[in-house]
Amino acid sequence: MKRRTAIKQLFILAGGMVIATSCTRDRKKSTIALSNLDFSKEDEELLADLVEAIIPETDSPGARTLNLHLFVMKMVDDCHSPEDQKSFVEGLKKSKPLKGKSLGEIQTYFSTLPKEDTFFAILKNRTIMGYQNSEYVMKNKVIYELVPGRYDGAVKVNS
Amino acid sequence: MAYLNIDSQKDRTYDAIVIGSGISGGWSAKELCEKGLKTLVLERGRDVKHIKDYPTTNMYPWEFEHRNEMPYQVKQDNPIVSKCYAFHEDAAHFFVKDNEHPYIQEKPFDWIRGYQVGGKSLLWARQTQRWSDFDFEGPARDGFAVDWPIRYADLKPWYDHVERFAGIAGDKDGLPELPDGEFLPAYPLNVVEKYFKQSVENKYPTRKVISARCAHISKPQPIHIQQGRTQCQNRTLCQRGCPFGGYFSSNASTLPWAAKTGNLTLRPNSVVHSILYDEQKGKAVGVKVIDRNTKEEIDFYAKIIFVNAAAINTNLILLNSTSTRFPNGLGNDSETLGKYVAFHNYSARIYAEYEGLLDYTVEGRNPAGGAYIPRFRNLYKQETNYLRGYAAGFGAYRSSYADTSGLGEDLKKSLLNPKLGSWGVGSHMMGETIPKASNYVALDKDKKDEWGIPLLKISIDYDQNDEKMKKDYLDTLEEMFTEAGFTNIRRDDNWQAPGLDIHEMGGVRMGLDPKTSMLNKWNQLHAVPNVFVTDGAAMTSTSTQNPSLTYMAFSARSVDYAIKEMKKGSF
Repeated sequence: MKRRTAIKQLFILAGGMVIATSCTRDRKKSTIALSNLDFSKEDEELLADLVEAIIPETDSPGARTLNLHLFVMKMVDDCHSPEDQKSFVEGLKKSKPLKGKSLGEIQTYFSTLPKEDTFFAILKNRTIMGYQNSEYVMKNKVIYELVPGRYDGAVKVNS
Repeated sequence: MAYLNIDSQKDRTYDAIVIGSGISGGWSAKELCEKGLKTLVLERGRDVKHIKDYPTTNMYPWEFEHRNEMPYQVKQDNPIVSKCYAFHEDAAHFFVKDNEHPYIQEKPFDWIRGYQVGGKSLLWARQTQRWSDFDFEGPARDGFAVDWPIRYADLKPWYDHVERFAGIAGDKDGLPELPDGEFLPAYPLNVVEKYFKQSVENKYPTRKVISARCAHISKPQPIHIQQGRTQCQNRTLCQRGCPFGGYFSSNASTLPWAAKTGNLTLRPNSVVHSILYDEQKGKAVGVKVIDRNTKEEIDFYAKIIFVNAAAINTNLILLNSTSTRFPNGLGNDSETLGKYVAFHNYSARIYAEYEGLLDYTVEGRNPAGGAYIPRFRNLYKQETNYLRGYAAGFGAYRSSYADTSGLGEDLKKSLLNPKLGSWGVGSHMMGETIPKASNYVALDKDKKDEWGIPLLKISIDYDQNDEKMKKDYLDTLEEMFTEAGFTNIRRDDNWQAPGLDIHEMGGVRMGLDPKTSMLNKWNQLHAVPNVFVTDGAAMTSTSTQNPSLTYMAFSARSVDYAIKEMKKGSF
């Protein structure tokens, strides 16, 4: 009986939890509701270009299709200090000239940034985190097992 | 849960009251109910029903808003609980937040709490190593605390009893310092853990590396199926609550079992204020509760009372139970209540890498977490410059990594094709600390919480013995790691504050002499025999083993005794 309940619950939960979309009619606001930061629709578009330059579409979806720009915004808004947030907003502002530029040009711009650039560090780390933890990658590429049902401590590999 | 008519005293009277529904309270309740006593279980937090109230249990990583990372503001607002390894998006709802239940730290103490039905049994690390006479004889041999009023033989049948029901996976290792039990099949050590075992045991015959024993159903028996539990599915997402009942918790096991008898009344949202003592009758008659939500004061009555509020809160309740007879806390003739609190020294870890056995990896996940090294220091005789010793956890994992230095297609390709790295290995210490009168908890004279209960002051610290022991642990493990050919050895001796080990014990210690202890060998208050304390508060000393299994065994043993005494008319 318990098992059936558990399986039923699995179905309910598997459908849930996508990034909440706000219902704002103001077209200048970003797509998702944020608590601390105020990104415009324009910022969001620019971020989509930037994350796409980090993880582009190939024969599989890239960062834009996976909505990683929205994920980056969410994480900067909720999981970073006010100092980090300030650096991020400034870094994004400085990136404005990249609007409409090719992925190659954006990548070149990234490579000119100093190693310790906070904006780029946050952008890249969060894009990678969002990618590795995305439903697409975890279901299709680097498979995540919710219920392994086994442990083998000595599996032969070719190395 | 039965509807509670609180109008008449008769309706508020039970055979037994259990304060707390965590790992020991659940056991007290199960045993009392099975033996036919109408039992009221009081839980200060909200109800958590098995499976139904595990909202995150089947969620995938991408379904968490922040992919399981705690938001910045939550961490800022909760510096204490944020230090706990399990405090993430998937289980944060089972932890007490710092500002909800403040306490006074005279010395830094990271008090980790779970206020809900099931308590911390939902969140525990599920390690279940028995204690032995090397532990129970420790205080007498080494001259600290007071002698335990029991020995391993007193507890053995009750370890057997609770292990069979809870489901404990482990090997029979034949070690006197870590007695064997009623085990389900053990989880295997992986290739590197096995290699380390051989390396250690060849070089040091008195040191053992075994598969850690844990409260997971590796192979369900009829008794587990009857509880509605099934085989552990190796998810290792236990802190969310397990839909399979694969690990032991009050919620999955003892509480539903107690409920099936028809003798259980579970009352969540019931903050216990104090135990009511009747001066004429010379015994406890009930428990004063403040309803968590309405703040209404309600008294419940019973012939016997089991205090299982978790070590520190059990101290708080007894300290706050004052009367003319006991002005300094219930049963506190010895003036030891709140004192001799101890814990496990978890303040050091050591990590390294292993470049061998690269043609192997692991698959699936190991709920036991890997290996366990029982205490070998000062076991048969005193041999170091500090008292007692430490046990250690040991685990090996095959790391996988992706080169993230690139950008664009290169980066993407690298992320989608993670490479197996070297083996990572790690160990943490669990050191016995010496209970001292100067490590204490007490009530603040002025400050009260929102239920009108005095705030607790906690004054607990490490000492020189802990410092020497820690150094020895690091030196010894480094030597064992070096011997095994591990490289890049990193010592981590970050002194985490006491409390974060979540193994706080004592304050209501057992002992032979009522002048120097609170409880007798049956966990009865010497001075108030119808009150039993069977959680961590009762511990005279701490051993080096994870304590929960021992609380379970004490609870079952104590109930058995209480019922025999009731039949004789003692209460």
